[in-house]
Amino acid sequence: MRVTANTFPADLIRHLGSLAGQQTRLHTQASTGQRIALPEDDPGGVGRAVALQSEAGAMAQYQRNIEHQQQTAQATFSLVQALKKISDRAGEIATLADGLKSPEQLRAYGAEITQLIRQTVQIANTSRDGQFLLAGTRSSQAPFALTEDADGSVAAVVYNGNASTNEVEIAEGVTLTSQVVGGNTTGTGPRGLLIDARAGADFFNHLISLQDHLLAGEAAGVAATDRPQLSRDEENFVFQIALNGALQERLQVAESQARQRKADLQQNLSREVDADLAQTLVRLSQTQTAYQAALQTGGSILSLSLLDYLR
Amino acid sequence: MLGLFGLLDLGSRSLTTHRQAVEVAGHNLSNVNNPAYARQRLSLATSLPILGDLGPEGTGVQGVAIVQLRSAALDFQLQRERSVLGSLQAQQDALRSAQSALGQLLDRIDTGAAAEGVGTSHSLADDLASLFDSFQSLSTSPASLVERQNVLMKASALAAQFQGVDQRLDHLRAALDSVVKDDTTQANSLLAQIAQLNAEIARAEIAGPGAANDLRDVRQSRIEDLAKLVKIDVVNGELGAVDVSISGTLMVAGLEVVESMETYVSATGQTLLRAAGTGAAMTLTGGRIQGTIEARDGVVAELRADVNSLASLLITEVNGLHQTGYSLTGSTGADFFVGSTAADIQVNSALRDNPALLQAASVSGAEGDNGVALALAQLARKSHAALGQRTFIQGYTDATFRFGHFLASVNTQLTDQEAVEKMLVRQREAVSGVSLDEEMTDLTRFQAAFQASARLVTVVDDLLNTVVNLKQ
Repeated sequence: MRVTANTFPADLIRHLGSLAGQQTRLHTQASTGQRIALPEDDPGGVGRAVALQSEAGAMAQYQRNIEHQQQTAQATFSLVQALKKISDRAGEIATLADGLKSPEQLRAYGAEITQLIRQTVQIANTSRDGQFLLAGTRSSQAPFALTEDADGSVAAVVYNGNASTNEVEIAEGVTLTSQVVGGNTTGTGPRGLLIDARAGADFFNHLISLQDHLLAGEAAGVAATDRPQLSRDEENFVFQIALNGALQERLQVAESQARQRKADLQQNLSREVDADLAQTLVRLSQTQTAYQAALQTGGSILSLSLLDYLR
Repeated sequence: MLGLFGLLDLGSRSLTTHRQAVEVAGHNLSNVNNPAYARQRLSLATSLPILGDLGPEGTGVQGVAIVQLRSAALDFQLQRERSVLGSLQAQQDALRSAQSALGQLLDRIDTGAAAEGVGTSHSLADDLASLFDSFQSLSTSPASLVERQNVLMKASALAAQFQGVDQRLDHLRAALDSVVKDDTTQANSLLAQIAQLNAEIARAEIAGPGAANDLRDVRQSRIEDLAKLVKIDVVNGELGAVDVSISGTLMVAGLEVVESMETYVSATGQTLLRAAGTGAAMTLTGGRIQGTIEARDGVVAELRADVNSLASLLITEVNGLHQTGYSLTGSTGADFFVGSTAADIQVNSALRDNPALLQAASVSGAEGDNGVALALAQLARKSHAALGQRTFIQGYTDATFRFGHFLASVNTQLTDQEAVEKMLVRQREAVSGVSLDEEMTDLTRFQAAFQASARLVTVVDDLLNTVVNLKQ
């Protein structure tokens, strides 16, 4: 082929341009560690990477949801434990208050029960982030309201919450609730912690009944009515503790699954997007050598011409 | 027999011829960097012989023509390939701008809080995912004002991103309309220049022998410039002129521009081309103008429509669920998003001003209920018939895949086409390009011949002197 004055410079410019382009691409890959960045680089790869990123984001969100549920479950557990202690003491008093005790002694027990009821209300009205734990979904108001008699004893404790709980997603399509409602008299839905129709639990009314029997010195009433009632409450607390344990276990499993899934997704994403650094650097070095060679040979050839030899 | 005066004449003709040859070499040398130039050669031939005693006798050399070394076949191929190249370059320019408008850029090393160790893609997909994540967080604490604020902020960011993408794509459409208009003006100007050059070539070639090489070079260069803008058909006419047609419409006939192009806005709002004289719409098949129109009304418009339908569907779906919910104040029926497309999507300002009005509860009187928040979060995984049974994020990635795939295919085609064009240019350069070495050698060759011819004249002069001084 006939080589003219412009053939060589045009070729040199084209080669240098193409090598510079390759160097830029490889340098970008080496410095970002990414094989692809824009849709045009690898449309399928970028599409899959975006899907993987959003899925990993969703896993992280599930982890946050699970963490939140765990915190609620732990708070509920502490609460149930405290109530169980009160229930234990009430049961103890109900056992102690037999016919051998004097009316004064029974009244003293009665006064203690009054205090226990007040304490229970206080515990049952525990809130977290401004939301009452046992109020169901009516969570911005205290679930239990106490009314007193003129003599300072407790007349009634009313449940103002509802029997609904919030389901939260902890994995794709899997929802659960860590909420425990204070009372449920409907016989369906979540078990109430203090009041539950199915378990026959009605802790406040049973404590009030115990209080009233003690204050009135009716040891027989305590034995006949209050002890069996309180033992149903006790069973309900035990049931809730077991339920909470199972829930925390399930949350822990879900958390580790989400973590594992996120790690898998990261690996997939890495395979899809990340540059093979060793390969990239070797290719970069090859391209640099070619670029240098092109410059050097180009420079020496361009500087030569017949003009150098004609006089 | 020539005789001494005949010989002097021969020497003089030789001097003239070699001077002309040096002139041509000089012309070539001075145009070495002119890309439109095709090298020229002085054709030499022996002068007419005269009949002498010994038979026909040579009378030296004379230049018969200055010829251009040019391959018509290569010129034709290049003109065709330039139209394909122009179209692909225009498509690549438009699609790359659209890619920037979309703002989709994978960034694995982003360590922001939202990156979750997997980086971001700075795209609508990120903002969509963030919004659905914020609904998830809200479902864990439906009455929390912080979570409500978070949802509204993410939704505002998504709305701003939708609007930004739509606006950028709209500006791109307007910019591409301007490109079509400017290119059309330039094409009309080139048509006029070609007609003008036809006239000049005809005048020059009628006036004397030989071809108007330099004018033909300029005309070929204009034809190729025009071919890059719009695919043309060139036919050689009379008097060295060429006729130019575009899509079957004769534009330049001989020395006259008989038709020109103009842009018009079609019924569907697109800036298209038609013949200015007849008003007939012109369907182009190559060149930059066609490439720009194809990209603008094809992939770029499709991308914008995809983003729009995604936004519209999001507005409908989110509002549909949100309207059924109840706020912390017990209000219901409010929209979450206002607007209907990507261009005007916004978060309801009433909610932005008072996050308590966000309707996260599914039942009245239970401000801690998360029914609607959960349903909104679960919307992330819901398939929609309008998106071909895909989720919102899948719908978006499908749209970017289709777009990216098209751009990648244009990139490949363009690289191939550039290689074809480069090869043809090289081939043409091999035929028509000026070689400094050749010209310098020619220069030396003709210089020596000129010097030798001058020597001949000196010898003849000496001979004449001898003859004149015979009588002394």
